[in-house]
This record gives sequence, structure tokens and C-alpha cells, in this order.
Amino acid sequence: CSQDELLNTEPDTSITAGNAFTTPSRILGLVNGAYDGVKNASFYGGRYLLYLDVRGEDFINITANSFTGFESWSNSYSSGSNDINNLWGAAYTAINLSNILIDGLSKSTGVISDSLNKQYVAEAKFIRALSYYSLVTIFARPYVEDQGASKGLPLRLQAETTSASNDLARSTVAEVYTRILADLDDAEAGLPDAHGSALLNTTRAHKSTAIALKTRVYLNQGNYARVIEESKKLVPQTTAPFSTTFGVQHKLQNIVTVFSSDYTTTESILSMPMTDLDSYTGQSSIAYIYNTNAEYYLNPSGIFGDAQWGSSDTRRSFLRLSSGRYYFQKYAKPSPFLDYIPVIRYAEVLLNYAEAAARTGNTDLSVALLKAVHSRSDATYTFAEDALGTEANLVNTIWKERRIELIGEGFRSNDLLRTLQTIPAKGSSSLQAAAVAPSAANYIFPSPNSELLTNKLF
Amino acid sequence: TVTDKENNNPVPGVSVKAAGKAAFAQTDAQGHFSIEVPEGVTSLEFSFIGYQKQSAPLNGASAINIQLESAASGLNEVVVVGYGTQSKREFTGSAARISSAVIKDAPVQSFDQALSGRAAGVSIASPNGVLNNPPVIRIRGINSISLSSYPLVVIDGIPTNTGNISTSTAVPNNPLSDIDPADIESVDVLKDAASTSIYGSRAAAGVLLITTKRGKAGKSKVSYDGWTGVTKAARLPELLNAQQYMDIKNEGVLNARILGGNENNPAVASALYFPSYREDGSLVDTKWYDYIYRTAISHNHTVSLSGGTKATSYYFSANYSDQQGFVVDNSFKRKAVRFNVDHEATKWLKLKAGGAYNTTFNQSQNTGSLPNSTFLIIGAARMATALSPNVPVYNADGSYNLNQTSGTLGMGNNLVTNTLFNAAALFDLSRYTSENEHFLGNVGATIKLLKPLELTTTYSLDRLRTETVAFQSAKLGSTAYSTGGSVTNVTALRNNWNWTSTLSFNQTFGRHHVTALAGYDVQKFENSSWGAAQSKASDDFFEEYQGSWGAITTSGNGLAEKAFISYFSRLTYDLDNKYFITANFRRDGNSALGNDTKFGNFGGVSAGWVLSEEKFFHSNTINNLKLRASWGRVGNGNLPGEYAALNLYSAALYGTAATWYISQAGNSNLGWETSEQTNFGVDLGLLDNRIQVEATYFNNDVNGLILSTPQSPSKGIPNNSILLNVGSMYNRGIEFSVNAGIIRKADFSWDASFNYTHVKNKVTALADGNADIIGYTHTSSETSNITRVGESIGSLYGAKTAGVNPENGRRIFINKNGEKVQYSAVVKSGETNWTYLDGTPASAISASDYYLLGNALPKWYGGLSNNFRYKGFDLGVNFTYAGGNYVMNGTRSTLRDQRFYNNHTGILNRWTTAGQKTDVPRVVYNDVISNGTSYPISDNVEKGDFLRLQNVLLGYRVPASLLGNSGISSIRVYAQASNLFLVTGYTGTDPESSSNGNANTTPGVEKNAVGQGRTYTLGINVGF
Repeated sequence: CSQDELLNTEPDTSITAGNAFTTPSRILGLVNGAYDGVKNASFYGGRYLLYLDVRGEDFINITANSFTGFESWSNSYSSGSNDINNLWGAAYTAINLSNILIDGLSKSTGVISDSLNKQYVAEAKFIRALSYYSLVTIFARPYVEDQGASKGLPLRLQAETTSASNDLARSTVAEVYTRILADLDDAEAGLPDAHGSALLNTTRAHKSTAIALKTRVYLNQGNYARVIEESKKLVPQTTAPFSTTFGVQHKLQNIVTVFSSDYTTTESILSMPMTDLDSYTGQSSIAYIYNTNAEYYLNPSGIFGDAQWGSSDTRRSFLRLSSGRYYFQKYAKPSPFLDYIPVIRYAEVLLNYAEAAARTGNTDLSVALLKAVHSRSDATYTFAEDALGTEANLVNTIWKERRIELIGEGFRSNDLLRTLQTIPAKGSSSLQAAAVAPSAANYIFPSPNSELLTNKLF
Repeated sequence: TVTDKENNNPVPGVSVKAAGKAAFAQTDAQGHFSIEVPEGVTSLEFSFIGYQKQSAPLNGASAINIQLESAASGLNEVVVVGYGTQSKREFTGSAARISSAVIKDAPVQSFDQALSGRAAGVSIASPNGVLNNPPVIRIRGINSISLSSYPLVVIDGIPTNTGNISTSTAVPNNPLSDIDPADIESVDVLKDAASTSIYGSRAAAGVLLITTKRGKAGKSKVSYDGWTGVTKAARLPELLNAQQYMDIKNEGVLNARILGGNENNPAVASALYFPSYREDGSLVDTKWYDYIYRTAISHNHTVSLSGGTKATSYYFSANYSDQQGFVVDNSFKRKAVRFNVDHEATKWLKLKAGGAYNTTFNQSQNTGSLPNSTFLIIGAARMATALSPNVPVYNADGSYNLNQTSGTLGMGNNLVTNTLFNAAALFDLSRYTSENEHFLGNVGATIKLLKPLELTTTYSLDRLRTETVAFQSAKLGSTAYSTGGSVTNVTALRNNWNWTSTLSFNQTFGRHHVTALAGYDVQKFENSSWGAAQSKASDDFFEEYQGSWGAITTSGNGLAEKAFISYFSRLTYDLDNKYFITANFRRDGNSALGNDTKFGNFGGVSAGWVLSEEKFFHSNTINNLKLRASWGRVGNGNLPGEYAALNLYSAALYGTAATWYISQAGNSNLGWETSEQTNFGVDLGLLDNRIQVEATYFNNDVNGLILSTPQSPSKGIPNNSILLNVGSMYNRGIEFSVNAGIIRKADFSWDASFNYTHVKNKVTALADGNADIIGYTHTSSETSNITRVGESIGSLYGAKTAGVNPENGRRIFINKNGEKVQYSAVVKSGETNWTYLDGTPASAISASDYYLLGNALPKWYGGLSNNFRYKGFDLGVNFTYAGGNYVMNGTRSTLRDQRFYNNHTGILNRWTTAGQKTDVPRVVYNDVISNGTSYPISDNVEKGDFLRLQNVLLGYRVPASLLGNSGISSIRVYAQASNLFLVTGYTGTDPESSSNGNANTTPGVEKNAVGQGRTYTLGINVGF
């Protein structure tokens, strides 16, 4: 009757849970929705990268604005900081989106094929692993400090849609790593070698994406043997040129192209896509913070001033000189900010491999990998013999190369933390950030207040 | 002839009775009457609803002129109750009536702003001084945690939209301003459940029944009411001048250098702030107040025509209002027309119709005063205090002083970067407006079926279209410089209809009087909004959406509907006019609730005993004594969304790919929030009702509270919250009011009324083992409030401080263990910022160290109004007061901000030398912890007690003799001042400020908001 009609209203602009897993295109939409969770502005939409970069010593802050990463830059955050709470929330939202996906797919029958079902589960596990990795490396003590014995994260593996189970104790760092690697192994097994287009190969996970992330995760554990084992899958050669020989044929490309004209080359293993209808503006966009509003510049005594970053290096084109300061413009497009945000590049895999090779005595391979990355941007550069001579020097040179190659992509501070180095002091005449020793409480991000207040077992 | 004493207009329909005899007459439209006076009668009695009964001696006269005085609070006064009226005598619930007189000339945008302090139990506070901001209304306290605590507003029978309907955080838009306050006959406030339960599900926060003016039979009357006035900002904090600013900031810079161990490091500056000079060599010393605040001018005009014949009466009015706010660019305009018609077609059929059409226009820059705008860098109130005084507004060539990269304020010779904008440029280059087009109308009919039976049916339509526009220029100095300018237009249609039918029965059987009412009510709200945001102006010439732009995205889309279906009834009975009993029942269905919980049953009973009518009651002083008691159960289903019970998935884009994602974790068992209210009262009339006293005790137990229950962020649930029926609380208190005709002489009268409310709020249960609910002000770092079992809702929350260490000038905090720890914003590498007082490292203060810092809800409040009349003069003085609460003076943290912000002169008391005792810590450049910038600290918590001279009005009525044959029947002129002074120990701008507007769980926070202005008006009332 009309009374029922009046009182039983349903929205016209969203669907109810019961209708979510009912068609193939909706299930695909849920998969994309989980990726979109990773693309949150506070996460791989860009700001997570910003936090990790500016914590290190290669940038100088100008504005002292706590809404654009100043607290991360000065390592002065507290449990109440927006950066901390927003990052935590965004990463766990992505985790829940993948958990909902895994749960829904396990109950879904007949809507999509079993093989597609398996692929989607693998993608969800990849997203979950990426999110946990991102959290555990910044909110928990470095794995290598005590082989993961410290308190890590609440390990949420169930879909959460009700008010139950607010309280969940933290698993240890080691347990979190175990889960990340198990998810990535599952992902590798379930993901396709390639998707149907270059765009999908860059914006959705395929087999190589899971493997590439494993090289990063094992490197954080200092498990060089496993780094090598995984790297070999993507980099089977021992001399340049290097490239993947199955699925998507990943290899190095012109780096300027990768960051300005073609975001979906085979170098980009995973990136967050930006379009007119789906991009970030203002302080949510790191292109705005670094370039448009020029809130950070290159620390003259950071990697910018190092001889390894020569003046003929193509990567210098990612810098812009203004009033005597060099500003960072890897993300150079003006508003709307449509530069894709990189998550994993082939260059990183090569450097991960190089570092593990150096650590395990395979110097020639290591140097070959290092040179492959460096020379594609600066073909005439020759490394000093000394720089490649000893294991320690070689590793040090690889770290420098990482700072040059991966600047602005969210690596520097984690590279310090995973090797238990002090975060150096930095500053200008007006703003200083003190050094942070590995023993200091602010070596890692504090647990967010929002979690402390609601999770009694934390 | 019978006339109204106040305006000399004839009063038709007055009963004229010969004392003690059966002779009876009624006045006609001209107020004339004739009566045959029986033998032995020496005086006549005149009585009419709304006027004091009066008797006049005959003394053999053949013509009598009587002036009736309105009965401000007479017992025969009508009380408008849900779906009907009752006389005050038979009314046994708890209600208050506010008459048109206090509303119509008030210099406000919407009538609700004028009700402050006028009724016991009703607290009305202005959260800020931006025009047309909805006031914070609390009837007998906060009665919900997650749902609206705004009362239900019923205008001529239709529950209407309330709150701020603007989609912009810059410009507020209260749809109640769509009603010309001069059109309102009365506002009746229903307070107890026995009265409100007939509104069932939406009445838990009380009901405001608005009755608009209608015509009366008699000569047509024309009136003109107009006023004009000025408004200025009040109580602005005193700021450092340019020299003081540079001195303090450079002291902070030097302190940071020393504390960081860089005293001898030439790479670290010891001063960053340097003066700028004008061309004539004088020091630049900018007073930013002059560019943000102004003296605002307003005027308002209403013309009305009313009258009628015995069968047909009409009321017509037109209004034009043009008001300015004291913040530059803030304005409000209204054009409105209204008609109301009543017609008695036959003896058994009465028709009724009314309608009002208006446009209102709101414009404001972002002031940072509206909810969720506290920390926006474009907030005008913060810019007014924070912008650097040692840089100019304009360059020598007349252009704006701007940073050429970002478009923020240029910093002159200072060696620091400013993240705030040049206010003058910003205001010039942006515009925020919200405009309403509103029709509110109804048609109805009353049919007398049999003698005691009446059928009334009314259909009402409330159709409101709002267009909210935000524009930011492409030019340097605008916030949209980096996006090439932007414009956002959102249009929203709120279509609300309501059909109500009632059958009423009214019969007297000897000593028994029975009335009964049964009704059916269905209401539907259909809300639809859509819009788009464009950026990248193809030329900076374009300022309108219809111009040429390079990029477009959707904005403000929404589509939802909500329906209520209700069956209700009321039964009243009285015996001998001494014993009264009323019972209400309502069954309500609400579409927003869970499938099996949509319907709820509500109701109440109330009883009264007029003790003074009893034979045994003898008193010369007490002429009326009535005892009242009521109990009722009402519901609250004012859910924030229309589909709160559902688990919902929404769609978006991942690059170009379509997505679905969970957007709401619903609760299929979501049911009614109910409140059980008990009420005991006594009404006293003393000295011929010259003094009337009402006292009421109330207890409101709210159960099944719907809580937006915080979820651990690690669960990843949308917004980290789910609505659940958990928790309970109570509001208990007393209300007391006295109305006294202290002096009533022919030439001089003094009436006073005083009201006092004491209310205690206590939360008794919450979700998940009584977990605390944290309230945030705009950002997740500003944990300003806590709702905790055993405390009052939304108590202040933050880090506890214990002054400043006299040894080193560091702020001392108290951690969760009760230990003292001190903070230094800058330390040498290897040292820690947080230490115990002996210098050993301590853990940083985090949320786990926070304390409850005081209750934020006033425990007592009320008003005192005095009205004096001397010959043609009238003087009204209206005070309001409140207290027993604490306010988080968050603005003080901004005024002590140690970034590039300018500071309050109080900063000059900062710690400088060892042993110095002060409450202001040592200034350290970029210290965001010590003064409460990063998170709230107890040092900024202050008592909120205040007494405000809300309104003072002096009027003069031009003697009728002077008007001669002009055709003008009356002229009154008046001067009025609002918010003339505030007596308070609170050091912020205004203790009634609320940065979170009407929010239940985050009251009592003043942060970066503009206070209330001070308004002076001159007005005139002319009658023809």
C-alpha cells in the first residue's frame, strides 16, 4: 500500500549491501573501489609519500604549516596530529575495502567465473599487503631492530561493517610481516601475468606487482636472499639491459617520459591514476605543495649537493630554480594536478636488487644494476672506483642513487629507518629540525589518538 | 466604544455583560456596542480573549468608553497546542508564549534570534556574529547526543526545515529567516512531553509553534513598521602593534636559536622580522581590523493590511529587509509577501488559506565561525588577529601586497613565509552567497458535522529552493589562484508537504467538559540538490558559473526522501473548571529507521487542579492556585540521514574506472530514541493576578539514545562511526518565572518578568561498555570535548596544564599519572622536547593523558525584562544571563600562536627571566604546543558566567491629538540598542560563542570565530 511505499524508501544514488555483489560490473567496481581506497589523498594519493620524504634530510620546509607536512618534516608530530590520524584511517579504510572484497567474493557464486574470482581475491590481498606494509614501516619499530619482536599493528583480516570488535590488540611486527608476505605470495599466485591494456597494467596489480613489492618488503627485513630470489623473477639478466621476460615486459624508460608524458610505460609497475574527474586539489595534492605553492625546496646540503647527482643528469630537470632555491617538480603539472603518483617503479626493483646483491657479495651484478639506473639519466657519468670498491661503499652509493632516483616518491626516511640510521638534522636560517636517533620515541610515528581512544586492547 | 489601550484601535467581539444579570452584548467592528441595562445594575463587565477583564461603573451614563489592556499573561490567554488551542486555565502541560511585540521590531534576520531570555526553560544563544546564522536553541537542555537538539518548528501547522541549509562553510542560511518576524502573531514553546507528545517522533527537543497574523473583522487597518540601524564589532582583543610584533617574534626566533644549541651557529638566524616603511618614511603599522570589520548599516520595512467582515477576514503584508553585518561583505536581504484569509462560507463550513512567498539573499566571506571552518586559512576572524601588522595592505603603486608565488600576504622585509591571505585582496577576489526562494502556504477547511463534532483538514506546502554560489577569482591573491579561479554553484530543492486531518469533539455535560481529537498526519520531505564546480577561468574576467571555464566536476549532489506517517489523538476532561486532565497518544512511522522498528508509540497524560476554586480555599492575596503534573513519552527520529539504517555502497571513479565502495555502515535495528518526561508545576496568581508565578520541576530521561558510535579507525568503517541505540541520559531541573505588574497607574506602569532555569544534564550510559565519545572541532587533532558517563554531555577535554615553570619558562603539563612534565618546542639534537621537572626525559603528552576539563553546558540561565510606560513613553530593558559552565577559549591559543601570527598584548607578560612568575610561557618561535595551538589545554578553559544587556528600547507614542485629521491613527517612534554590554569574567569575545554551532557533543568551544556585534536602531510604527 502507499503507506509501505512512503516508509520503505531506498536511495537512488547508492545501493544497499545486498545488491553489491550481484553483477560482474559491480564486483569489478568494488575491486576498483579498493584501489581507490589506496589512492586516498592521505595515502598513495600523495601525502604518504610527502611525509616519508620530508622526514628525511633532502627537503627544507618553508611554511611551517602543520597541514602540509611540517610536523613530519620537523619530526614534531604528536598522537593528535592530523597527518598521523588521517594516514592511519586511510590505510585501514583500504584494508577494510579489501577485506570486504575478500569476504564478498568468498560468498559470491555464479556471478563471475572462478578464475576471475581468484584474480580479484589476489588483487584484494595485494592491496591489503601494500597497506599493512605502509603502516608497519612507519607506525612500528623497524623490523631489523629486533627481528620484529616489537608491537606492530592490529591485524584486521575480517570485513568490518558492524559495531562489533572495536578492541583488537596489536600483533608483533614480525606477525604483520608474515601476513604481508603470505598475502603477497597468494597475490602472486592469483594475479594475471598482465591485464588488457597499459593503463590497467599500471593501475591494477599483476603478477610482477606483487613480486616487486616483495623485494621491498624483504629488503625492509634485511632478508637479502629473498630479495634476490624475488628480484630474479623480474630481472632475470645479470647484465644490462635488464627487463622482465614474462607478462608485462618491465624495463627502464626515459625518466622524463615516465613523469610527464606517458604514465603507463612498462617502467611504471603501479601508479595511482589522476584524471580531471578524479584528482586532488590544494593541500591534498603533493604537486600543489611541492611545486605550485613551493612549500619545500631542496636542501643544499642534502643529496642535491652530492657529486653523484651531476649537472648533466636528466633528473635535474625535476628541479626548478627560483630565487636561489631549487624546488621539486617531479609532479610538475599545474592545476588540475593530473600527474600520476608512482607506487612501484622498475627502477626501484633494480636498486632493491642491487643492494641485496651488494650485501651478498655479488658486486658485479650490483654495480651493473646500479649503473643501469644511473646511466639512463646520465650516460656520461663514471662512478669513482672508491664509490664501488668496498661493500660498504657500494651500498652507500646505492643509497645515494635511491635518494636521487626515487626522490619525492616516499622512500628516504624509510631507507634510514630500515637501516637504523639517525635521521639527520636539517634546516634553514629560520626553521630547524633536530636529528632523530633510532632510540628516540619520534623515530617512528606515534599511535594515533583516534585509535587509542576507541581500541582498548591497543 | 471599546478600544485597545495600546493602539487605540477598536476591539470587536468583546463580551459586555451587566454585572450579575443576564444582559449581554458584543462589540461590533468599530468597537461599538449597545446593551439594555437591567434594573439594579451599576456596572458593566467587559471581557475578551487576550485582554484583562475590566468593569466600568455606569453612573447613569448613556455612553461608555473603555480601554482594554492586553493581558500579557492572563489565564484566559490562548495557548496554542498541537493541532489546536486551549485556554491557559485548562492547559496542564508546560509551555511558554512569546508575543509578537517582542519579535517584530527586533533587529534580527529570523524570529528565533529574538527569543533570547524570554521564556523559562528556553535557552537561545547566538553562536557568532555572522548574519542569519541559526541560533543555538535548547529547550530544557540537550536531549540527544547524535540527533538534532533543535526544536521542531511548526509554522501554521507544517513542520518545516531548520538549521543551516547553505552548502558553503562561509555563508550561513537559516530558512527561518524566510518569515518576516513582523508577520508573527505568537511563538508558543511546548516544553513537556505531555504537550509535545502529540508531535510524537520529532518533539523530543521541544516544539516551537509559530502562528502568523490573521485578519480580524472590522475596519481595515494599515500599518507600517520600519527601522534602520548600525552594527559594530564588540570586544575585539587588543593586538600588538608593528614594533611590538617584531620584538616578540624576534625574541622567539632568538630563543629557538639558543635552545637549539645554535647560539654560535652563523647559519641560524637570530632575527627574522624586520620593519617596512612607507614612502614618507613612516613605519608600516597595519590595523587589520579596519579591513575586516566595519560599521554596518541595516534597514527593514514592513507594510501590512488587515481587516475583514463578519464572514471574511484577511491579512496581507509585504516586507523588505536589507541588513549588513559588521564583517566586511556580510549582508542579508529579504523580500517577502504574505496573505492569510479566513472565510465562513456557511454556518458549517469555514475555509482558511494562507501563503507567503519570499526571496532571501545571504552573502558572507568565510569567517571561520561556522561549524567545520575553524581552521580554514581563509577564516576572517583569525586573519583579523593573526595577520602581520608590519607589512602593508597595499603596495606603493596601489596594488595588493602579495607573495608573487602563492598569492598569500606579502611579508615585506620579514624573512618568513606567510600561509594566510591578504584579507583585503581575498575579500575582493571571492564571493560566497546563498539565496532562497521559498513558498510556504496552506489551505484548509473546517466542517461542523454535528454540533459538538468538527472535521478539519489542512494541506500545507513548503517549497524551498536554495542556490549557493562560491566564487574565487583567478587573480593573484585569491585562494583559487593555483587552480586558475573557481566557481561552484549548487542548487537545492527542499519540497516538503504535509496533510493533516483532525476530527474534534467539544461538549459540556453539566459540570463536565470533554474534548476529544483524533487525527491523521502524513508528511514527506523530498530533498534534491545538484551542482558543479568549475575551475580554470579562460580569462580572469569571468566571475560567474555561466562564464567560460576549463574544467568541471560535480558538486553538492544529493537526492533523498523521508516520510512520516502519524495517527494521533487527544482527550481532555474537566470537572467544574477545577479538575483538568489531558491525554495524548501518537503512533508514528519514520522511513529512516530499521525495517522492523519504523513505528513507535508515544503519548502522555497531564492533570491540573485549580485549588483556588475550591470552597475551602480562602486567601486574600492568592487569587489563583493551580497544581499541574504531567508524564509523557516522546521519540526522537531526527536522523542525520534519510537512510541511516542501511548498509550502503556508493560509486565513484578510480582514474577513469567506475568504482563501488562501502559508504555507510548502517544498523538495521536502528529504532526510536525515546524520552520520558515528568513534570510537576504550580501556577500562582497573586493580588488579582498582578503577580503571576510559575514554577515547574522537570525530569527528562532519554533512553535508547542513538549514538554515532565511534569505531576503531583500524576497522576502516566509513567515518569511523555507526548509529546505534545505546546510551541514556537525563536532564533534570526547575524552571521558575514571575510576571509582575509592579505599578499600574493611568500614567505610569512598570511590568517586570523574570525567569530562571536550572538544568542538570548527566549521561548515564553509552555504547560498548560506556566508552567515551570524543568530540572534535573541525579537525581530528582538535579533541575539544568528551561525552562520558557520569558527566554532562560534551564536557571540555584536553591536556591539563599547571602553569609555567618559573625556572625556565616552559609550560608544565600533567600527564595521566599526575606527574608534571614540561615542554620545550626546540631542544638540542639528542635532547627530548618533553622532560620531567628534573630534566629527565618524559613521554610526550598524547590523548591518553587528556583530562575532562569542565562542563560545557550552562547549569542555569534565564532573562529579566522590565517594561516601563509613562504617558506616551515606553521603555523596555531586557537582560539575559547564563552560567555554571566552562568555555574553551580556543581563540586565546591563536592569540598566543608562536608562528608568524600576531599576538594579543597579553603576550607581553611572557616569561623572560629565571624566577619570573607568569602564566605566559617563554616565547619560542614555531612553538605550537605550549599555548594550545596543536591541541586544547586547560589553561585556556574559563568560566562562562555572564549577564548581557540583550536589548534596551525607548519608545514614544505621538499623542493622537497631534495626528488630527491626517488619517493616521497612531505613530510610535523608538530607539533600540542590542548587546549593549556584557558583564563576564570570560576573557574571550563572547561566552555564548559556539564554533560548532548546534552540535550536541561539542558545545562551549570558542575558536577563531567572530563574536556578536552591537546594534543600535531607530524605528517607527505607524497605524492607519
